[in-house]
Amino acid sequence: MGKGVRIQELPGLGTRYDVDLHSGSDRVSIVVGRDGKRHLYVFTTAGDEPTAVIELTEEQARKIGAVLAGTFFVD
Amino acid sequence: MHANLIGLGALILVAGLLARLGRRMGLPTVPFFMLAGILLGPSTAGPVAFEHPEDLDILALFGLVVLLFHLGLEFPVEQVLGSGKRLFWAAGAYIGINIGAGLGFGFALGWGAKEAFVIAGAVGISSSAIATKLLIEMRRLANAETPVILGIIVIEDLFLAFYLALLSPILSGATSAGELILRIGISFGYLAVLFAVARWGAKWIGRALDTREDELVAIIMVGLVVLIAGISAEIGVSDAIGALMIGLVVARTSIRERAERIIVPLRDVFAAIFFVAFGTSIDVGEIGSVVVPVLIAVGITVVTNVSAGLITARLFGLNQRGAANVGLTVLGRGEFSLILATLAIGAGLDERIGPFIALYVLILAVLAPILAANSKYLARIIPDRLLHDRWRYVREETISTACTHLDRIQITETDEEECAECVETGDTWVQLRMCLTCGLVACCDDSKNKHSTAHYEDSRHPLIRSLQEGDGWQYCYEDQSLVREPAGSARS
Repeated sequence: MGKGVRIQELPGLGTRYDVDLHSGSDRVSIVVGRDGKRHLYVFTTAGDEPTAVIELTEEQARKIGAVLAGTFFVD
Repeated sequence: MHANLIGLGALILVAGLLARLGRRMGLPTVPFFMLAGILLGPSTAGPVAFEHPEDLDILALFGLVVLLFHLGLEFPVEQVLGSGKRLFWAAGAYIGINIGAGLGFGFALGWGAKEAFVIAGAVGISSSAIATKLLIEMRRLANAETPVILGIIVIEDLFLAFYLALLSPILSGATSAGELILRIGISFGYLAVLFAVARWGAKWIGRALDTREDELVAIIMVGLVVLIAGISAEIGVSDAIGALMIGLVVARTSIRERAERIIVPLRDVFAAIFFVAFGTSIDVGEIGSVVVPVLIAVGITVVTNVSAGLITARLFGLNQRGAANVGLTVLGRGEFSLILATLAIGAGLDERIGPFIALYVLILAVLAPILAANSKYLARIIPDRLLHDRWRYVREETISTACTHLDRIQITETDEEECAECVETGDTWVQLRMCLTCGLVACCDDSKNKHSTAHYEDSRHPLIRSLQEGDGWQYCYEDQSLVREPAGSARS
């Protein structure tokens, strides 16, 4: 993994990737579950209360990932 | 062929609907399956689905077997072994305190020694399913203490296997101490054999199971699992362990993921039948006589869990919020308590055990999510010295980044501009670092003397920051990572 991404095992549940955005208090954590589900945590304030939490299926995560990564994406 | 399909269908349907109602309120499912069994069972007024609950026995037993098989199948061996000694200490403390208190309470009840061992397990071993769901629902997956909580409950699952191996011989009705020791020996020997199979024999079992067709994988696998469970019970080791261990074996084969996919729907339905069947065997009339012991047990459980949470927090350098979260999240009791209750009923122990465990699980099912969600109030009253004498903690924030030590930051600013030790010996340095716990300024690792790292090795103060103009980074020695500003900044 690249710099600024920390991997944390969550026993029995999956793996967590903490992504530091180096911009004040913004920070993103992604939990990739063993069952394929992704839990996306977005923090925009200092503290432990996430601003938003979204649960994604593998399919949805792939879609969003493709858009974020700038892969050409039609329909 | 005579079968009560109407009764069976009604039971499962009511169980599912009740659990759905409970989920709307954020409550766990297992207690509601049990409740459906109690309501439609022969001992309560109103409709009765099964006049003779023992008609459900074979289905319920199958449910127990697939439940434990699945537990073994998804047991994250590598993750647990890779998580270090601290976690085992924390889990050991959790299990020791809870089982110990449960054993003391069980003997104090005076229902008998066998009963005491069953009660100790039922109040001591938490439900991993409930705790995991709670963490997801309370949106705490990114918290610092969450990996610790998950690690503890996973190790508890493994402990269950050992506890069952100990309990089955005790319940088997050995007449002398020698016979009891022999049976415990057989039990653990059998466990060792299955461990050996899991370690070295998984390849052949995988080969036997692996076909391209899921249909055949499912059938062969279920056959093997039920057979092993049955043989285990015959040897006197309990079907539950057999199923769990064969799960560990299959987990090491090439078909692990397919097996998981196949077994999950089976487990969901048949485990529910197991819990429902347990409910139908509960005599509601007995519940009145166990209310007081149950309330005491619930009180003990809350106290022991919070104590274990404090110990864990000390071990991992967590703050008050972390301590409270660890203690109150692992409070739920469910499937394991009911398995032990079933064992006790099967062995013909004191009749109050069934109702006792049923009521205990029901109360904690409602209490655990409420307490876990309000852990911050507990965090506010935990004094600093319970966690560590010399550190001042930020009580109410739990840090979500990788480093679990940010709350040990006590000082972040300094006027020092030199490494005092280097000045003393007349050496020079490259850059300066500052210890964020005691404020010591010392030279970096590119310098000749590496006084900052030496200070960490000396004092175990985990965090430093760079004093270089414009650097602004912090480093944690314990977690070996660069870290962010503390959430809930501790600047004074």
